[in-house]
Amino acid sequence: MQHILRLFILLVGLFAGAGSYAADAAPKLTTPDDLGPQIEQPIEFPHFRHAGDAKDGGMQINCMYCHTYARRSMVAGIPPVQKCIGCHQSIESVRDKPRIQKLFEYWDAKKPIPWKKVHDLPDFVRFNHERHIQRFYFQQDRPYQEVCGYCHGNVKAMTVAQRQKPLTMGWCASCHQKDHPVSANSTETGHGPNDCFTCHK
Amino acid sequence: MTENDFNRRDFLKVLGWGGTAVALSGCGNTSIEDGKETVTSYVTLPSYVIPSISNYFNSTCAQCEAGCNIMGRVREGRVLKAEGNPNSPINRGRMCGLGLSGVQAHYNPDRVRQPLLKGEAITWDKALGVIADKLNGVKGAEVAFLTGNMSGHVQALLGNYMDELGSKNHFSYEAISPAVLRAANKKAYGVSMPRYRIDKARVVVSFGADFLGAWVSPVHFSQQYAQFRKGSRPEGRGVLVQIEPKMTLTGANADRWIGVRPGSEGVLALGIINALGKAGLAIPADVAAASKAYTPERVSGETDVTVEQIEKLAALLKERTPSLVLTGSAAEGYAHGSQNAAAIALLNRVLGNIGKTVEASASVPFPQIAPTVGNRASLVSLNDGLAAGKYKVVFSYGVNPVFSAPAALKFKDNYAKADFKVAFAQYLDETAQAADLVLPLESAMEDWATVVPEYMAAPEGAGSAGYAQMSFRQPLMDKLYPDTRGIGDILLALLKQRKADKYKEFDDFYAYLRSAVLKNKVALGGKATDDDDVFWDETLSKGFVPMKGIAGAVSAKASASDLRLPSATADQEYPLRLIPAVSASMRDGRNANEPWLQESPDPLTTIVWDSWVEINPKTAAKLGIVEGDIVEVTSRSGTIRTQAYLFPGIHPDAVSVPVGYGHEAMGRYAKGVGANVFAMLDAVFDKETGELALNETGVKISKTGQRVVIVKEEGPVGGSQAGKKKIAVQVAADKVDLSKEV
Repeated sequence: MQHILRLFILLVGLFAGAGSYAADAAPKLTTPDDLGPQIEQPIEFPHFRHAGDAKDGGMQINCMYCHTYARRSMVAGIPPVQKCIGCHQSIESVRDKPRIQKLFEYWDAKKPIPWKKVHDLPDFVRFNHERHIQRFYFQQDRPYQEVCGYCHGNVKAMTVAQRQKPLTMGWCASCHQKDHPVSANSTETGHGPNDCFTCHK
Repeated sequence: MTENDFNRRDFLKVLGWGGTAVALSGCGNTSIEDGKETVTSYVTLPSYVIPSISNYFNSTCAQCEAGCNIMGRVREGRVLKAEGNPNSPINRGRMCGLGLSGVQAHYNPDRVRQPLLKGEAITWDKALGVIADKLNGVKGAEVAFLTGNMSGHVQALLGNYMDELGSKNHFSYEAISPAVLRAANKKAYGVSMPRYRIDKARVVVSFGADFLGAWVSPVHFSQQYAQFRKGSRPEGRGVLVQIEPKMTLTGANADRWIGVRPGSEGVLALGIINALGKAGLAIPADVAAASKAYTPERVSGETDVTVEQIEKLAALLKERTPSLVLTGSAAEGYAHGSQNAAAIALLNRVLGNIGKTVEASASVPFPQIAPTVGNRASLVSLNDGLAAGKYKVVFSYGVNPVFSAPAALKFKDNYAKADFKVAFAQYLDETAQAADLVLPLESAMEDWATVVPEYMAAPEGAGSAGYAQMSFRQPLMDKLYPDTRGIGDILLALLKQRKADKYKEFDDFYAYLRSAVLKNKVALGGKATDDDDVFWDETLSKGFVPMKGIAGAVSAKASASDLRLPSATADQEYPLRLIPAVSASMRDGRNANEPWLQESPDPLTTIVWDSWVEINPKTAAKLGIVEGDIVEVTSRSGTIRTQAYLFPGIHPDAVSVPVGYGHEAMGRYAKGVGANVFAMLDAVFDKETGELALNETGVKISKTGQRVVIVKEEGPVGGSQAGKKKIAVQVAADKVDLSKEV
């Protein structure tokens, strides 16, 4: 009989475990599906101040000044703290702002800032930033805000970035299946790769 | 599972219900996990580091004594893989499975992470304090330091430390070492480790030298072998003949494998010389006199090699020059091992290979960093000293004699007699467990060292005669555990205890190493005018530097006058000869806790995760043993239990068990896997070098009545059947006679 009891306990455990995992894992769907949840970051980074248009008080910095790896690597990369400090050590006017003080606290402690992922694809998907940036920004010469915005939305208007697109496979395919002009000044069209192994390898 | 009534069927039931449970509770919208994980981010980052793109740093492999030059692939600050350094004259960009597993030594979950005093974690300050305390009032002669092969600046520091202690008791021990080969080479050619040129030979006859597997510098020899086998070579495609009682990886690659009677290799060599003389080759008078009695008929009777084969072999060697005759552990592991090696070396002299395929190598210009090579004889002398109570403080680094010494030596008991035992260890292996103080080492991917290989390969072209090299081992990533230290740093700290003034300018071993290298940059391929920083950076980015070595010379010194080759004697009680097999991945067992090595199938039997005993099908039929029978292998010194594997590539009078398995400690992947064959070896030694005669143990085999299904890659009839619709001829294992193949 002992092993029946053991079986029973295991099963109850499994149900309970799976149930609580599902309850945990489901994001709080207070937003429509293609808008991600608001994510609390260690520092409330004002994207609009850095990348926003001049008329809105922004500095129109190119996305790739900070996310410098996007054009040469699979990942866009979060800038090292050093990069933030590189500018901010000579910007006295905002030095007393709480966010900047927090930044310098990290720098003085030589600790990386534990940013949370806003766009986190499942581990079985390989999205390559480099391919997209090289294609649309460097070859087709489109504006960087448009190119980054295909997937990331209008970040220049946000404070902390929030996911704007569903980033599901269907959504990726909706673009990859669509015919686009192959270059900025061409009438010839083509579409992105649709092979499974392009993303799932 | 056997003592647990929760069986496989129940397990599957739970699995089924569990699956349903997950399905019922629903998976939720979990595909995109925003806001859960932290992004890799840095405080500062060198400009050459790009997340997701690998950087390569040159270093040196520490998995075996060949010292291949490697490139560590590093991504986001973590080392992921080792590749061969393409500029290296040793491995020429190639790697072996053992080397690739080096990352598993580094990331191993069973590493020691803190200094342990009798099992309790203590700080480094306390640990070093305890050592200073214990050394207080102890005479230099009462301190012993046991290491494996050593070279480079770590060895120089060790030498300094031993001088400070006033001790001459540095013992260098390797469980599997070519010690007999070195001594025989010194006698026959005048250098202990000449350069072998397999790539220049038209025929290679190897007496048990597994040069593609585990002999001396296998990746280097594999490269030479690839050249040797090319039909487009000016000399044409080479022919390989392997003569050994138990087939090795090299034997499996040979054109002809000859399963000689164990121990009779020297007799066979003289028989071949005799046959060469009959075939018309001019034989020097002393050699002719020594080989006169070894007529093909007599030799055939003693070696189980047919007269026809001996004559064919002689004809092959006579026709195809230059040739190369090698001798390895299978021929050397006997009480008359040196005699066997000497007889085999005579073949090179008779065939005129010395200077052609046996070339001189260069010796290292700095004796302090030249390799100190290990052997078994030094362990025996340490053991005798320990037994006599001569040593009060014993240090050990990089060796595991409690595991690898034959039980007959009673090393463990003698080791316990020392008052205070310090083990520098990466794992809590058998020796570390028996020690009083364990000092945790950094892995070979975290520490600094220089390595001078014993087998000094050279690049092609001019200047190769005087070529020697020093390889650098540099950290491929930050250390995983802050309380581990490199051996160099520990030795430096110990030296500072005794001579603070002399070493105060060096903060750490890195500073010592850098200054020592820069002081000698002219001898290390630089110019006196080179900027120090530039030279240092260039050196590290190359991973090794040439040294102006002292060119040696080989000479045909081999003498035939004092050869004494005993005839085999039958042992009634223990009729079978045990051949402990050294496999390319398991070696002497120091890497047994790397699971890739446990799970990669043995090249010949395809067995994984266990020991086995290879038995010739004819012998097995006599004993009534079938594959998978659990048998007891008993010698005069011990017994092991393991699974039987019927293998036609072994002499009917021999059985073979791989070494390196059967750890009682060390870690989760090594502990309890297989049986330790070292422990059951008889303490018989080579008469000239004092090296342990590995193959001198007689055994008998008895069935236990248990039987298992052997876990192996091959199918029921053996060999690769992939892609074959129908297997053409199925030869039963007991009908195969490999010595008649080809």
